[in-house]
This record gives sequence, structure tokens and C-alpha cells, in this order.
Amino acid sequence: MRTHATPIDSVFRALSDPTRRDVLERLCKSPGSVSELAEPFDMALPSFVEHLKVLEGCGLVRSTKVGRVRTYRLVPKRLRVAEDWLSQQRVLWERRLDQLDSYLLELKGKHP
Amino acid sequence: MKTDLDLVLERVVDVPPELVWAAWTKPEHLKKWFTPAPWTVTTCEIDLRPGGIFSTTMRSPEGQEFPNVGCYLEVLPQKRLVFTDTLLPGYRPAQNPFMTAIIAIEPHGSGTRYTATALHRDEAARKKHEEMGFHKGWGTALDQLVAHAKKM
Repeated sequence: MRTHATPIDSVFRALSDPTRRDVLERLCKSPGSVSELAEPFDMALPSFVEHLKVLEGCGLVRSTKVGRVRTYRLVPKRLRVAEDWLSQQRVLWERRLDQLDSYLLELKGKHP
Repeated sequence: MKTDLDLVLERVVDVPPELVWAAWTKPEHLKKWFTPAPWTVTTCEIDLRPGGIFSTTMRSPEGQEFPNVGCYLEVLPQKRLVFTDTLLPGYRPAQNPFMTAIIAIEPHGSGTRYTATALHRDEAARKKHEEMGFHKGWGTALDQLVAHAKKM
């Protein structure tokens, strides 16, 4: 079983969530602090911070801390991965085979 | 291999090769995994011989259906399966070919190693892919975002 997601896969997984897409859209306008970014969302701050961590983890955003304020900015270059056609094909196949492998293990469990 | 057009994915899974073969060649199995969720496979027809039909209908989360029809080129039980949409059943040339897939299966310890190779035609074929709307699965918000990021 494959256990590690490819870097491309991590970008697509990050982009699969509507909250994270909204944050990216907001960051297209200008960098923002955690509280500024969290403001439009009806969500507990720790959950929101998790979303920011996912975005930073795959390189779509970068943050810097000055005093007690952490500011996030977009890394546009990383986003371009998502528009590459072959990357999209790869993600399709990775997901397909992830589903196949889980299904195979499920079948094996039923008929050991 | 053309690195700008082709993909090779290799997996090792702890199930016997017979099971991997069955999952690729029986509609009742294939329907369970062939399309990444939230897309689903609504129909699947398999005539497992060279020139025999391999067709799947994929359904988008919005309920739109996209039929894919092709045929098998090689069928070597538990070893190798090759199919394409370049040729229709009975080897009739297709209108809008997109890809050929080669699935190679071999025993690996108590499990199986399989390799999926996807050979794509060319950039023109991506049009068909876009019509199929796979990237719409990512949502129009993403499209706008990417368009915006390009301008930055």
C-alpha cells in the first residue's frame, strides 16, 4: 500500500476543501493575519488554524510571525501545479488506485 | 515513455494476483473503485477478449453522465491487461481517442505488485478530458483562483 502522498496530491487535497479555497481567494487580494482570515468563518479558531496548517504544509501559503501576529501570504507558483493537465491526470489515477487498494483489502477481509 | 504525456503508477498490495485481476475485469468489482469519489460508475460492460468491449459510464456529482467506450487489446489472465479508447469494440477506429492503459500484474511475496501505465495521445486530447469535466470536480472557485494566480 502506498502511504505517502505525492507533493502534487497534497496540493489537490488542500484545494478540495471549500474553506481552504475561500482563504486562498482572500489571500489573492493581500496577505492577512490569522484573525483577519478567520473573521468571515463561523468556525472555532483551532479548527481554522488547522486549515491554515494544511495550506502551509503543501506550500500554497507561507507565514511569518511578527510579535504575536502571524501573517499569511499566497505562494502563487505552487498554485500553478493545479492547472497542469498531466498533474490532474496523475491525481485521478492516484485516487483511483487508492480506491482499488482499499477495495481489494476489503474483499480479502471478506474472503480470507 | 513520453514524460510530458504518460504516467506510470506502481503499487504493492497485500492481496493475491487473482483478486487484483478480478477487480480489474469484473463489472461488479470495477464499479466500486474505478472513479474517484464523489464521481461514480453507473454502468460497466466488459467482454474480456482482444477487441471486446470495455465501457464505463461515469456520473458527476451534479448527475451528468459521461460514457467511455473502448476495447481490450491484450488479455493475459492475472498478468497483463491492455485497453484503449482509441479503438471501439471490434477494433473500429474511434472519433476522439484519449488514452491507452496497460496494467501489469505480478506476484510479490504473499501479495501483488501492479503497475498502471497511462499513455495519452497529445495536448489536443486534453480538450476531451476537459469536456468530460473531471477538473470541474475541483469546483469553479478553484478555476477562478488559478486564473487569478496566473495574473499575479
